[in-house]
Amino acid sequence: MSTARLSRRLFIKASAAASGGLVVGFGLGVPAAAAANGRPLAPNAFIEINHDNEIIFYCPRDEMGQGVDHGLATLVAEELDVPPAALEVRRPSVNEAFVNPDMGMQITGGSTAVKAHFLPLRQAAADVRALVLDAAALDLQLARDTLNTLDGYVVTATGDRYPYGDFIDVAKDLDLPENTPLKPAAQFKYIGKEFPRIDGLSKSTGTALYGVDIDLPDMHRAVVLRCPVAGGELQSFDASLASAMPGVTDVVEVTAGVAVVAQHFWQAKQAAAKVEVEWDLPELASVDTARLKRDYSAALTNESGVSASSAGDLEAGMSGASATLESEYWAPYLAHAPMEPMNAVVRINRGGEGDKAEVWSGTQAPMIDQGLVARALGISRNDVTVYPMLMGGAFGRRGTLTHVTEAAEIAKATDKTIQVIWTREDDLRHGVYRPASLMRIRAGLDSGGSISGWQATRVGGNMMPDTLGVMGPALVPNFIPNGLINFAAAAAEKAYADWTVDYSSIEGLVEDYDLPNSEVVHITVDHGLPLTFWRAVGHSYTAFAKESMMDELAEQAGLSPAELRLQNSQQNPRLAALIRLAGEQMENASPAPGHALGMAAHGSFSSYVAQVAEVSAEGGNIRVHKVTCYVDCGQVVNPDIVRAQMEGAIMFGLTAALHGKLELKDGAVVEGNFHNYPILRINESPEVEVVIIDSNEAPTGVGEPGLPPIAPAVANALYAATGQRLRSLPLELA
Amino acid sequence: MIKFFLNGTPVETELSPDTPLLWVVRDGFKLKGSKFGCGAGLCGACTMHLDGQAVRTCVLPVSAVAGKEITTIEGLGKPGEPHPLQREWAKLSVPQCGYCQSGQVMSAAALLEQNPNPSPEEVEAAMAGNICRCGCYPRIKQAILNVAGAENDATDPVAADLAYEVTV
Repeated sequence: MSTARLSRRLFIKASAAASGGLVVGFGLGVPAAAAANGRPLAPNAFIEINHDNEIIFYCPRDEMGQGVDHGLATLVAEELDVPPAALEVRRPSVNEAFVNPDMGMQITGGSTAVKAHFLPLRQAAADVRALVLDAAALDLQLARDTLNTLDGYVVTATGDRYPYGDFIDVAKDLDLPENTPLKPAAQFKYIGKEFPRIDGLSKSTGTALYGVDIDLPDMHRAVVLRCPVAGGELQSFDASLASAMPGVTDVVEVTAGVAVVAQHFWQAKQAAAKVEVEWDLPELASVDTARLKRDYSAALTNESGVSASSAGDLEAGMSGASATLESEYWAPYLAHAPMEPMNAVVRINRGGEGDKAEVWSGTQAPMIDQGLVARALGISRNDVTVYPMLMGGAFGRRGTLTHVTEAAEIAKATDKTIQVIWTREDDLRHGVYRPASLMRIRAGLDSGGSISGWQATRVGGNMMPDTLGVMGPALVPNFIPNGLINFAAAAAEKAYADWTVDYSSIEGLVEDYDLPNSEVVHITVDHGLPLTFWRAVGHSYTAFAKESMMDELAEQAGLSPAELRLQNSQQNPRLAALIRLAGEQMENASPAPGHALGMAAHGSFSSYVAQVAEVSAEGGNIRVHKVTCYVDCGQVVNPDIVRAQMEGAIMFGLTAALHGKLELKDGAVVEGNFHNYPILRINESPEVEVVIIDSNEAPTGVGEPGLPPIAPAVANALYAATGQRLRSLPLELA
Repeated sequence: MIKFFLNGTPVETELSPDTPLLWVVRDGFKLKGSKFGCGAGLCGACTMHLDGQAVRTCVLPVSAVAGKEITTIEGLGKPGEPHPLQREWAKLSVPQCGYCQSGQVMSAAALLEQNPNPSPEEVEAAMAGNICRCGCYPRIKQAILNVAGAENDATDPVAADLAYEVTV
């Protein structure tokens, strides 16, 4: 580095400052008081470059296993021209800059991350690379168009290499270029290419840190006793035995029930078992699974429900049909059961200017953490700093954050830094659930195998009101108005107003096929168990009903499963292309003796998936041997992440298809741990082959779309193997 | 006062003898790689080695390990010098959320110590106690078989791949 260059830098800085042209970086997380020369370059909210050429990517979405750190880092790496593994990925706190463009809030969900950020993040990175090149040209006094970049270095025509970090002080004084042309796909080095996940080694060596791993000085752990029946309230408690146990420091009442605080988790858990609690039970306490099913059946028979959508003339389509079928399908309540149980750490920092708080939690919605802690403590949201942590799984569960409220309330009541850890029993019995659903499909076929009428009715509770019931209050401003509030309030208002036809409840019942005469009816029956989004949301059960019915119709029409589906998907060419591939596979397959194949296809989260399952049913024992998965998710950023998400969604969906159910007894969830809420294990797991369709369409979701087809594909294969049409989940042979 | 060896270092704890080893290691010795998943020995996220054997430490009272050698994921390998299984895990992008993977790797390492060349069925049997909610099973199986195969055949191209650099 020459003296001349240093002088040149100083000159630019001085002149820019004098002219008032200093570009102020977003500087999230950078102390404003830091000396200008020590400051990194932070030209936007996402990218920071420091003098040592450390390049930090503030990932706007949170990592729950779906590979979003890797995926979004790939986008930044591509346009910034830095190897993805060289980026340091950090999780930002709450800021409007990190709002999910597809959701209007700082939320990770809905399989939106790559879809929503594909262009904006690339643009942000391309602009920063252009800024570095502008600065380098000025600094090196070389023509801008003679400079290039490679792996985080500026490269001159003569082959000299300078780390980006050499130019950040010059760059700070320049305007950030806008609308820099993005790389054409032919020049991609990382997008669409194969390379290992950037977080693979940290997650294989125990060095990746999750929320539960936070361990602050003087932190105490809390275990909370909650009413066995959701919605019950604390009547009284006697903690005299618990308080005397080793390590126990406090036993306090919180909104959820009674919190036992100790130095160590084990002490708190042991002591919690010694607390005597009396609860005021809600009406739900009179409900068990048999009663619930009777109520759903009665509603399906007796209630007309609400027409959620309709097209054409259903009755004409049904009466003109040459054959009609009507079937009912059942899907039970399910828990998400991520491997990392819910947990949160809250620390209150008392100060002369009022309390401030910090919260560490694995979360799909950091702004909800912030709002909940602010409300629990009675302070401004701006005085709450959220540190979103890696999530040990979420699947929709980590959008409902009552555990964060618990931690805040206990911290306030005890004046201690508190970590709340839920046990697995807490997770299964006090959670928020995938709703149970009773579905009925009436369908009419014309003589040519086209579906002339289709009426789908779904009975069950709605997810949106419960989810927003926790989220909503967290979003209400208490001191500082925030533009996001308007969106959230509007969304909440709309959802509440329309809650009898909450789209999440019925999504997937009619969208995939050409149904000229159709209706979706919703009958709300809700006994009060709290509900929320669970991987693939409504599609997780609607696809089972819809794709089982498609196979029933195929048999009725005397067509193969693929033929019937192709006949009725002419207006959905992307799904039809997958059905054709699955059909060809079924046509050409020669399964082993005792094995049979079944298929299903379903579009969700703007992506399309078809699956072929190979099963056997020897001695009534269902075995899924292989699943072939065809996926069209548009342009692919990380092929291996797409494969991994399809593999994972299939396993997750198989747990539901083969094992998953929660039973209610006296209003309480019976299942408490993995012995009675079994998760698919490696010895039950099938071989999975994923076929990704080559596409130039815009990228779409992969976290959820792999799940909906698996249960009906297995059910359809079991029908082929055994002649038993199973219409109830989990699948059990007679 | 219970004394044992933790990753080769003699340690002692004053926590109550019925405290599960997992919490002694996590809360007492601040090694956070071993995870809490079920508290009932059902999921394997807490797996460590007790004198080389894979054990579920969320149900193992620390009194049971007095004088014994305990190895945690931190003792198996580090990002800079990973165990061959950890390297293969990263290479195949086995982890998704990653929470169960310490336990998976520890179970796999114990398996290969006892059976350096397991069949796919033996891998499934040995790994059936470890739940992965993300569904990484096909890759877990492949990674173990790759490492086992490589250790038995030095000319296997996988063996050469083990020397590849993983950037963290």
